[in-house]
Amino acid sequence: MTFRDRLLATIRAAKPVLEAPGVMVVGSEVPNLLEPGAAATLIVSQDLDVGVPVEHHAEVKRQVAELHAFRASPEEPSVWVPREPGLLEVNFIGMDPTQDPAEAYVLDDDQLPLLVFGALSLVSPGVELDLMETRVRLPRAAGLVLEKLVTDRTGEKGERDLLVALGLLMTATPDDIDEVEIMFRRLRPELRHVVRSNLTILSLLEARPGMPDPGPHRADVAALLRRLEGEEGSDP
Amino acid sequence: MNPLMERRLRQLRSRVLVRSWEYRQRQHARGAWFRLRRVLTFAAEAYIVSPDDARQLVAEGRRPEPAGDEFEPPKLIVFATRERVARLRGARPVPVRLTRDLLAATCLVLVPFVTPASRGRTRRV
Repeated sequence: MTFRDRLLATIRAAKPVLEAPGVMVVGSEVPNLLEPGAAATLIVSQDLDVGVPVEHHAEVKRQVAELHAFRASPEEPSVWVPREPGLLEVNFIGMDPTQDPAEAYVLDDDQLPLLVFGALSLVSPGVELDLMETRVRLPRAAGLVLEKLVTDRTGEKGERDLLVALGLLMTATPDDIDEVEIMFRRLRPELRHVVRSNLTILSLLEARPGMPDPGPHRADVAALLRRLEGEEGSDP
Repeated sequence: MNPLMERRLRQLRSRVLVRSWEYRQRQHARGAWFRLRRVLTFAAEAYIVSPDDARQLVAEGRRPEPAGDEFEPPKLIVFATRERVARLRGARPVPVRLTRDLLAATCLVLVPFVTPASRGRTRRV
């Protein structure tokens, strides 16, 4: 069974929540689904991140009861693990458009607690795909690129998240890059610095087996960094 | 609150605090690593060269990157074209990553992605 098979089977099994109001796939699977035919060759992690708008938490919670192929992890109830092989974990993440990108909080709930990441306030709805008879909402690429780049990226997990940004840049259109620049200029100086810093880390990452290789795309990363810094350099 | 989520939240907030501290320190020694990574980001290729070769490139008018001065011992880092590097007999290519070889090198020549004019700007950032 290929990774793509598992991803698509997970989408079909998660249909009740994926079609709930405002829900988006927000994590490492976005570049996979944006590839032509949802080719899913940019494998970074083995889970499906599902962004839940806090204003729709109650509706999503009702739909969670329909997730028969998964059960909540006893250790971390925002993670739902498959009951059967051939599926990925589903990881529920809170999105709050009013939240500061550097902040986070827990939306406590007995059934579906959520860690709400402020950086996801940069994310807005983008294309909808019809996959496995399931309507899958994806975020606009620019917002998700910046979400990946404004978040603190340290250690193994951080580097994998930067590879997600790389995967998004690999599938981004020129309009997406324009939007990245516009959104970048709206960030406060500290976050702009974090974005630039993370781009330098991404540029120097070593290739990992089975994951997107930054090497062939370093020129694009350099061009993006230069563009974000502008003619006068970036903020101090 | 679930203890694991509470711990993750605490860790995340701690990292944000550290990051803010690092941002405030960016003009000082703490920012040296960012500036080095930034210069390397604009390099398509990197070569370790002898001090004589590096000084020769500077004598030819190439400007040493200030990011190299922030380390001890200082690193003499200059950008040069691929063609110019090809004429340096002892130039040893190294991956453009933070490898031990690259970090230990005191003299580095970087080949820019496009043109020498577009190489990494050197203002302190």
